[in-house]
Formats: sequence, C-alpha cells, structure tokens
Amino acid sequence: MTPEEVDLSVSFAGVPLRNPVLAASGTFGYGLELEPFFDLRRLGGFVAKSLTLEPRHGNPPPRIAEVAAGMLNSISLENVGVEAFLREKLPRIPEGVPVFASVFGTEIDLYAEVCKRLSGVPKVVALEINASCPHVKAGGIEFGQDPAVLASLVRATRRASSLPLVVKLSPNVTHIAEMARVCEGEGADGIALVNAVQAFDVDPETRRPVLWNGLGGLSGPAIQPIALRMVWQCAQAVKLPVCGIGGISSAADAVKFLLVGASAVQVGTANYLNPLATVEVVEGLAAYCARHGIARLASLTGALEPPRR
Amino acid sequence: MSRGGLPLRCDAPVLANDACGGANRRLRLEVGAAFPPSGPGQFVMLSPGPLPAAPRFDPLLPRPMAVFRREGTALEVLYKVSGRGTALLAAARAGDAVRVVGPLGRGFPLPAPGERAILVGGGTGIASLFDLAARAREGGPVLVLLGARAGADLMARDEFEALGVELRLATDDGSAGRRGLVTELLEEALAEAGPDRVYACGPTPMMRRAAELADAAGRPCLASLENRMACGYGVCLGCAVPRRGDGYALVCRDGPVFGSEELRFEGLP
Repeated sequence: MTPEEVDLSVSFAGVPLRNPVLAASGTFGYGLELEPFFDLRRLGGFVAKSLTLEPRHGNPPPRIAEVAAGMLNSISLENVGVEAFLREKLPRIPEGVPVFASVFGTEIDLYAEVCKRLSGVPKVVALEINASCPHVKAGGIEFGQDPAVLASLVRATRRASSLPLVVKLSPNVTHIAEMARVCEGEGADGIALVNAVQAFDVDPETRRPVLWNGLGGLSGPAIQPIALRMVWQCAQAVKLPVCGIGGISSAADAVKFLLVGASAVQVGTANYLNPLATVEVVEGLAAYCARHGIARLASLTGALEPPRR
Repeated sequence: MSRGGLPLRCDAPVLANDACGGANRRLRLEVGAAFPPSGPGQFVMLSPGPLPAAPRFDPLLPRPMAVFRREGTALEVLYKVSGRGTALLAAARAGDAVRVVGPLGRGFPLPAPGERAILVGGGTGIASLFDLAARAREGGPVLVLLGARAGADLMARDEFEALGVELRLATDDGSAGRRGLVTELLEEALAEAGPDRVYACGPTPMMRRAAELADAAGRPCLASLENRMACGYGVCLGCAVPRRGDGYALVCRDGPVFGSEELRFEGLP
C-alpha cells in the first residue's frame, strides 16, 4: 500500500473531514496568516482564534515564556470580535477549507450571542465552545471547571445554533470524564481536549512571576501525557466523538491520540515553531498507515491494545 | 513599509558559523534561490540549534534574528551568545542544517529623496541596520553611528567601513571611537543641517533617547524593536507591545520597525 492509497477521511462531530488533522485555536490565527506557507485545503480544517462579541485587546506583556518542553501564555483571548471576523477575515479564507469557529464569552448569554451570529455562515462548519474562560459571575472559576456551570453553557449554546457543537474542555479539573458526560447529556456533538494546563513560573533573579498575569496556560510537548490520559478517560466515558489536543507535533503523536479513542486531532503549539507542522502530520499519518497496512485511518480510533502483562 | 516576498520555511545548511568579536557570531546559511528576498530590517526565526536535534523540546521555541544581509543564495545573521538557544546555535557546524522561517515583518522604509539617513545602532541592534545602509547609500548620504561596550563588541564594523558610508563610533570604554554613548553622536549630528531621517535599533534606552532627540530636532525617527516571540508570523500574539493611545501592536506583524510616535517606550521590554 502506498501513502496515496490510504483513506484518511474521518467524521468528527458529524462533520466529514478529508483527514483528521485540525489546527488548534489560538495557534493558527484566522487561517490567513498561514496561507503563505501551504494550501490550507490540505488540512482537515482549522479552529479559528476564539471570538467574542466585542473585540478584545488582551493582556499587557510579558504574555509568553518558555519552559522545559513547552511554553506558558497569557494572551487573554485577544481577538477582532465576531463581526470583524465575519466581515474581514472569513471572506478571505479559501473555499473548501472547513472552519471551526471557536467561541467564548465572560457570560453565558455572550457565548450564545456569538454562536447565533456564526450560524448559517458559509465556510463555518462547526462551533467549538471554549470552556476555559473565567466565569465572571461565578467568581472567576472556568466555565469548564464546574459541572453545573458547564451544563448551563452547553445547553445555552446548543439552543443558540443548529451547527455541530464541539466543547473544548479545560484540563484543570479533578474528574475530566464527568465533564465529558455533562457535554453528552446536554446535546453536544463532540468534545475536544485538552486546553492549556494552568501553570506558573517565576524568575529567581527578579523574584517576579515571568508573566504579567502571573498565571498562564502551559502548552506543548510537556502536556502530552496528561492530555493522552484525559482523552483516554473521556473516550471510555462517552459515545461522543473526541478530538485529541496536547503537544502534538508529529504523526506518531497524533496516532497515540487516535489509539486512545480520538477521532480527530488538533496541532497547536507546534505551529509556532513550524508553520508546516499540520501538513507534516497529515503526510506522516498517510505514511504510518501505509507502513502498517491500514487502509482506513478511521479504524485506528480506539484501537489501543491492552498492556503487556 | 518595505515588504519582501511572502515567507517560507526551509532547513538551511550552515555555510559558516564563526566568532566575530566579543561574544558575537556570524551565521551564514544556504537558504537557496527560492527563499524570498528580504527588505531592510526584516527578520527570520531560527531553530535553537541545528537539526535534527532541533526542532527540540527544550528549548522549544525558535529565536527571532535580524537578517544582516543576503548574498545570492546565502543569508547571514549576526548574533550574540546570550542564553541556551543561542549557545546551541553557536554549536552548529558547517554542513549542519538550521530551520529558518522568513523573511518576516515590516522593515525600514528608505529615506525620501534629499534626506540624509542617520542610522543609530547599539549592541546587537547593529545587525538590523547594515542592509538599510547598503541600500540607502544608493539614494543619498548615509551617516552610521554605532555604539557598543568595547571596540571588540562592535558588530560588522569592517563591513560598514567597506560600504563607504560615513561612520562614527562610540564605546563605553573608549576602545573604539568616542568614549560615551552613541546617542551623544546623534545629538551632534542632528545639530548639522537637515533634512534627516533617523533609524534606530538597539537597547530600549538608546532608542528612546534617539527618538527624543529626533523629535526635538523635528526629524522623523523609526525604531526597530526586539521582543520574545513564539511564532514570528502573527499567530501566537506573544510579542505584543503597548501602542501609544490604545491597545497593542505585534512586533512580528506590525513591526519590527515602528515610527517612534507609535510607541510607548516606557512599556517596552
């Protein structure tokens, strides 16, 4: 079998994709930034930078810091706002590139309003609800950290749009499978995990936090084993399709997520160091399947073997 | 603002990677004919060390470096070993490959006809100004003012001399040129008859002083910023700096070159 003969197509959250590789929100801009590097139609699709009802400036610097095998960020969801996205960004994205629109807000009503405005818009094939945002009315806890709050959020966004609804889960919880069950119970079409892991770093010379915000989100290879554990637990807990995210920079990384139960994957931080990371994962997956005689990549989902004992 | 071709990524063989005074090094890469030409003041992202060890996980992120010059299919950067990423880069040998993404950012606009270009460079910021000096001299007079701690730290002094542009130096220890600050040279140059356009790249206090002096003398000033960044092409949003007025600019996408009136120097790293 040659790599060209492998069927890479998958279905995720009811959306048919030419391959399982998406670019993660916040690492791929509005897609246009990557256009100089490759034809975006080679991807399964991409998740656009999270959109709010109004534009946001984001946090003061320093916003990023390098740590062992990863990076911290505290951008605070700077974005152009949903209207500017619809008016200025989306029309410039080439036809045939499935766009997952990431949505967030500081209140549930604001999430729902953004979902409404993104519905019925060409190229937007699904919504991804970013549940890692601090919930102002609940004292700043992330929406995705409280099962009851998460349920309200999924219910409201589900009602606001008939588009396929993916919920991106926060890893900053004790029982991730419980959050997956909440999403399933409220009618989500899929879950994506994990978002960045809450983290902190200090400069010993200045004795100050390295980030302006103090707290940041850890991403990159450092979080991959945590993400694999959580995807594995969620895939067993729910029938919902799962999209695996966390430190994926190669096809081998992506295969691991498929084996523990993911139907699709997102490449995030790797885009920063290599703007071709996503397409290299696509090519690598075809080569992996050819090498292992796998005609349909989708058959890898959940194909984990038991531990050798 | 000058903008070269669209960026691309390539894994470029190292042609040379040599010490060139102080802790400074010169890296010469074979980027190939397909690598787009860069405008003066543009930059590239370089992997922290040679492939295949890089892309590595620790350190993870590429490093932004100004394009010093392009000669045919070779691209040169000048850098100073200042941390783990640059120390790993210094270990790259001829024949190793380094990952390059670029050229990136908005570079320097050339001076208007009749203007003298005054280039003010400090420390590693000097590397950003060489290509500008080479191009600006085609259109009019160019005065280059360079400053460093000591004569040995002055980057590319020989190359600037070979350009045939007017060169004035300042060092902290007086081992080359004037003992003092490069901005003192600027103050004197601005007392000469204009019109001039000031281009500054170096430590933030140097650029801030250059902008103040240019402003007081009624001359336009452009400053090229350095900042930590993860991607270099506008998606990580990590290199934000405060704009004068409201909000933030990205050094990688909106800069690295800014009109000094756009910046709030007190908020810069």
